[in-house]
Amino acid sequence: MTLLKEFILPRLLQWLLVIFIGVTITFLIPRVSPVNPIDQALSRLTAFQNLSPEATIALRASIEDLYGLQGSIFEQYIAFWKRILRGDLGPSFTSFPMMVNDIIRKSIGWTIGLLGTCVVIAWLLGLILGTLASYYRNRWWSRFLENSLITVYPIPYYILAFVLLMLFAYYFPIFPLVGGGRGTPGLTWTYIRTVIQHATLPALSIIIGATAFRFIMAKALTSGEIASDYVQYAELAALPKRKIIFSYIMRNTMLPQVTDLGLSLGAIFEGALITEVVFSYPGIGSSLYNAIISADYNMIMGITLLSIVGIATASLLVDLSYPFFDPRVRYR
Amino acid sequence: MPTIVEVKDLKAYYHTHAYGVQRTVKAVDGITLNIPEGQVYGIAGESGCGKSTLLKVLLGAHKPPLYVVDGSVRYLFDDAQIATLSLDENTLRELRWKQVSYIPQGSMHVLNPVRRIEDIFHDFVAAHQQVSKAESTQLTRTYLRELGLPEKVMAAYPHQLSGGMRQRVTIALATILSPKLIFADEPTTALDVIVQRGVIQILKEIKRREGSTFVLITHDLGVHANLADRIAVLYAGKLVEEADSRTILKKPLHPYTKFLIQSLPRLDDRSTRVSIPGRPPALDNPPDGCRFHPRCPLAVDKCRTVDPAMVAIQPGHRVACHVVTEATEEVRHAATA
Repeated sequence: MTLLKEFILPRLLQWLLVIFIGVTITFLIPRVSPVNPIDQALSRLTAFQNLSPEATIALRASIEDLYGLQGSIFEQYIAFWKRILRGDLGPSFTSFPMMVNDIIRKSIGWTIGLLGTCVVIAWLLGLILGTLASYYRNRWWSRFLENSLITVYPIPYYILAFVLLMLFAYYFPIFPLVGGGRGTPGLTWTYIRTVIQHATLPALSIIIGATAFRFIMAKALTSGEIASDYVQYAELAALPKRKIIFSYIMRNTMLPQVTDLGLSLGAIFEGALITEVVFSYPGIGSSLYNAIISADYNMIMGITLLSIVGIATASLLVDLSYPFFDPRVRYR
Repeated sequence: MPTIVEVKDLKAYYHTHAYGVQRTVKAVDGITLNIPEGQVYGIAGESGCGKSTLLKVLLGAHKPPLYVVDGSVRYLFDDAQIATLSLDENTLRELRWKQVSYIPQGSMHVLNPVRRIEDIFHDFVAAHQQVSKAESTQLTRTYLRELGLPEKVMAAYPHQLSGGMRQRVTIALATILSPKLIFADEPTTALDVIVQRGVIQILKEIKRREGSTFVLITHDLGVHANLADRIAVLYAGKLVEEADSRTILKKPLHPYTKFLIQSLPRLDDRSTRVSIPGRPPALDNPPDGCRFHPRCPLAVDKCRTVDPAMVAIQPGHRVACHVVTEATEEVRHAATA
């Protein structure tokens, strides 16, 4: 019971508080943005025809009603919470009358599939390579790895992504240029193969940078561990190298690494904006981008909400899992 | 008493260069000694005199920037004579824990914080013997019980143990495979006297049971008085005096040893203790001649130029001091004349 009361409960409350504050801020931010969705909708409707002022006012009222934007900000806020708690994110403004729920549902799979795989692959790769390269720091392959990853790391992501795209989709058209898959969606091999083909370049662009980051982090953490008394003592006692690397070094670098993995996995729900835009990938990042440039409040809110819940939940899970990774972390 | 470790004219220097400046620190400079089997051989000396460096070389655990420049170290086991300094890495690893073991300085942090004590024991035992987890756990349980350590430490993590318990667990970890030769580097430092006593008792118990040879390094002469059979006194990278502990503690000859013994507090004597004048020399630029001469009240001209060699004043009592050597020779001449 003390475990529940002193460890789990405070963290759950914190989780709720973070979500509450996050949701409130996301509610406010688009409402102070200079782009007004009603003007946008009106201008779309009036682009091809002239309306009398009275008709415009009537139209404005009906759009406000439709979008749930009537009343003071406070009334909107209450109505907003009511809808959220029902799990209804409202209609998208720009793709009206499509519901935000449906749009997110359609794109989230792409994003989770792409980013989830990338985050996990890059984490494992960077962690293992970084630890090994730090442990065997005088070997040629470790120097080669370190030098190449440190060279790649500072290249801005959009340049790396663009170079990959130009090279492998344009000059050497090995991979397709846009989209997430081709043919009828389904669990057929032909379809899955096109999905993998489409995902390869965006994945590669993410994995390179993320691996480099993880590698550098793992290497720094490992060199600290190697100098520690317990690793030195294990070396002196001639413990097998494998044991030292995995149980004595890597295990001790786990805490910060797992934290970071959790947060990166939580951040998946924001989508990878630049990746999805550069590679025209039909994920949640593209939807967010479109929503922002067209002031699609509900859409922005829906995605932001998702990422707030995602990151808050991820850090909750990371927090709850600490005692498994480090016995020194006991609940307070 | 057969010798188990033979050290001949050992020189180990730290070579460093930073920003184009070469520096050589002569931490061990020409040490010759024989460590007798089955005894506790104490090495005493103040901080920075080269004790730990000597131990590293004796263990064969020296790494750059520490280089062995000259001399030899040989382990004389019953079945084999091993020249440690020319061994390759793998043979050296073979010797560790089974034959030669090490109790480290500052045992506070030598236990992996994320592993239970029984798992650490398993790691160390399994590295040298084919054992299952159950077998090593059984071995550990028996051994800890014999040393009088509570069984519940096995399931604990290192941070859950007190400093003294951690040190005793580390000593058990270092000695569980009954090595012939155990090097202990400041095993009681940073522990309060009550806990020190526990640690000293455990070391005595191990020695009694296994008949292992201990090489005990500490600056604490009280611990030496308690444990050591022979004591070697180190000053500025050189041996200055070596004899059985009784002689060192009761009838020291070298001026430095005399100062050391005089500085020990006694229960019945409340007068102020005299400390040794001056400071220990920097080992990258030691004084010529006898390294103790700038601080020595007896120093004569010869001391400033000629480095004194270790001379056996009596059987089993060696001293490196011109004044002492000459005085003994005069006595001898007078006796013969």
